[in-house]
Amino acid sequence: MAEMMKGNVAIGEAAIRAGVRFYAGYPITPSSEIMEYLSWRLGEVDDGVFVQLENEIASINMVVGAASCGVRAMTASSGNGISLMQEAMSVLADENLPVVIITMVRYGNGLATLYSSQTDYLRETRGGGHGDYRCFVLCPYTVQEAVDMVALAYELAEKYKMVSIIMAEGALGQMMEPVDLPAFLDVKRGEWGFDGTYTNAKLGYFDRNSMTEAEELRERYDLIKENEQRWDSTDVADADYVFMGFGLAGRSCLGAVEDLQAEGHKVGFIRPITAWPFPEKAFAEIGSNTKGVIVVETNAMGQMVEDVAMYMKKHGLQMPVYSLPYVYGVPVIQDIKDDFKKIVNNELKEVF
Amino acid sequence: MEKERKVPHFVDNPSNFCPGCGHGIVSRLVAECLEELGQDRNVIYTIGIGCSSNMSAGMKADRLHCCHGRASAVASGMKRVNPQNVIISYQGDGDAYSIGMGESMGTAYRNEKITMITINNTNYGMTGGQMSATTMPGQKTTTTVYGRDCSVTGNPFKFPELVASQFDVAYAARGSVDSVGNINRLKGYIKDALEAQIAGEGYSVVEVLIPCPTNWGMTPLESLDHIRNNIIPYYTLGVKKARGGKSV
Amino acid sequence: MKELVFAGFGGQGVLTSGLIVSDMAVRYGANATWIPSYGSAMRGGTANCTVKYGTRFIHNPSQEKPDVLMAMNQLSLLAFGKLVKENGAIFVSEMVDASVFERTDVKVYTIPCHEIADEIGHAKGANIVLTGAILHYLGDHTLEEGLSSMDIMFGKKGKTKYAQLNEMAMRRGYEYFEKLK
Repeated sequence: MAEMMKGNVAIGEAAIRAGVRFYAGYPITPSSEIMEYLSWRLGEVDDGVFVQLENEIASINMVVGAASCGVRAMTASSGNGISLMQEAMSVLADENLPVVIITMVRYGNGLATLYSSQTDYLRETRGGGHGDYRCFVLCPYTVQEAVDMVALAYELAEKYKMVSIIMAEGALGQMMEPVDLPAFLDVKRGEWGFDGTYTNAKLGYFDRNSMTEAEELRERYDLIKENEQRWDSTDVADADYVFMGFGLAGRSCLGAVEDLQAEGHKVGFIRPITAWPFPEKAFAEIGSNTKGVIVVETNAMGQMVEDVAMYMKKHGLQMPVYSLPYVYGVPVIQDIKDDFKKIVNNELKEVF
Repeated sequence: MEKERKVPHFVDNPSNFCPGCGHGIVSRLVAECLEELGQDRNVIYTIGIGCSSNMSAGMKADRLHCCHGRASAVASGMKRVNPQNVIISYQGDGDAYSIGMGESMGTAYRNEKITMITINNTNYGMTGGQMSATTMPGQKTTTTVYGRDCSVTGNPFKFPELVASQFDVAYAARGSVDSVGNINRLKGYIKDALEAQIAGEGYSVVEVLIPCPTNWGMTPLESLDHIRNNIIPYYTLGVKKARGGKSV
Repeated sequence: MKELVFAGFGGQGVLTSGLIVSDMAVRYGANATWIPSYGSAMRGGTANCTVKYGTRFIHNPSQEKPDVLMAMNQLSLLAFGKLVKENGAIFVSEMVDASVFERTDVKVYTIPCHEIADEIGHAKGANIVLTGAILHYLGDHTLEEGLSSMDIMFGKKGKTKYAQLNEMAMRRGYEYFEKLK
């Protein structure tokens, strides 16, 4: 029987089962339960290491060290904490080191708030730190999906030698719902790991060729865009309006879509599961009769809506793009329905 | 009797250090100690940003270049998952003490079982000679053009003394490369530090005073005199915390 | 699908009441979500959680229009009372003055849960008395199912010390509502 589990706790246990044997972190609401859980749980498994560090910078750099030795290493944080990690995340990308980072997104600029939100979409999908790199960005909409994503995040990170971010709203970490935990995977060391024998030689800092590295990176990212887009969609082909949303906002959006369909509206829904690579292939289903695409998010300005508009252009889709940014929390289904009617009645204008 | 002086295999390559720089001596000493301890193919270096970065090119050992100041944290992560390896965090004074004060202190505070080798040339060499945490009082750098005024910058930072007196570390010392005698003593410190790590005693650190003729605006020989006459009186040499728990 | 909000001061056990109900729903085959008060309220003196359960997928786990509100303090009645669905129900403790609540399209039940809890020697069990009354109101599970599910839930957390008192509290709340309705 599936058991009620809190999102953060379930993710912690999923990490153990995915073979994570190293966690370094610093507490921050609303992600702290992940580290609280792993602080004792890693001690119960062979070779499990847990360290609480002085800040997020030290945490992610310790994760760099563990990952460079081929161990499945993890850290988790939120808004400000992930900001502090950006430099080392760029290093992980540059050194082709696979790591999984969990971010339980909280709303706001500066010191931010404790509200659940999707305010960090642009940062996570653009790499976030200096330079020109990307991370996988996986967006769960249920606790079960988050749990199942942990092993997937490592598979992708290790296959393509890069960082995977599981980006969930804070509320997903705090809420409970029934979960079936995945099986325990065999714990393996990555073949890229240092062992002191100089079998995994790294080029000197000043001996690398940035031009060929850039080409290699482009090819790798193109391959990922081709093969690793993930999304869910429903009733897109004949829809007058297509809704898009990810995570809990997408989940609420799906509720609004089902209600609106029951009321006789022809609406469809696309839920990105990977925010990067952006699931542009989902747009192939959109018909030319569709009157508009409506993007539901919880941030101030609308962030994913920019990707939606950009990729619609790429796919020759001319219809208007509407933005419904509900700032923080989980959007209320009734609000989405009310705003949909404003769009239909031309009371809300498109943004692209 | 003549002693054979073979260059350790993994540093027997050209490096990019300036003429008269002390980095080469230190990296060779560390390599010699590793060879003598049978650890030369059981070592991982974390390398800081600064002139230490130049070491990477000529060094054929497992190594990771780290974010500026964070090499000790990276080294700790390595040691926690690979306790059988010798982990050396090789950093300059700007890297380890200025930008990296947090990570260096945190690593010593937790008594992580790694060895930090800090190269102290009293300035930021790589970026062209700016003031660092160890710049001497009155020293002219490109950001203290009238000489370091400690009333506004704070005083030069003494890391080995600080961790030896405040933290539960295994070993702390300061050496210098200004003379053959001091180089020999330095090698002893480095070996002690590595042995402390291998024995699982805890955190060890060796700070090394080296000349920086390029940024000091001196000849190599003047630089050595400068170390002897001006730097060593402030940054005293010797063991600050001996193995076995005694602060010196 | 049913939506319930449990609200009160921190320490009154409103989050636990939500857990009992959501856990029971899942144990007997339904789908459920439990989500605590979120945001700056997390650090304040009040606590609340929203529980939804039903046979279908639950879209929005957060508050929309609760069918049932359990309010253990005045503030909670005022804050969440206005959200309750038409013809929904509000359960308050005797410490809450329900006379100031102006809506007539919802039914307000005052349960002397603190008095009952004191009577059975389980002062901290007032929330469970209220939960027992709500269990009866919901009508989706029998008292026996509620008692057994609660025992299993607390057992898994290693909190077995108050098992008998908790059972008594739930039973008394359930029976009180039986007489009231």
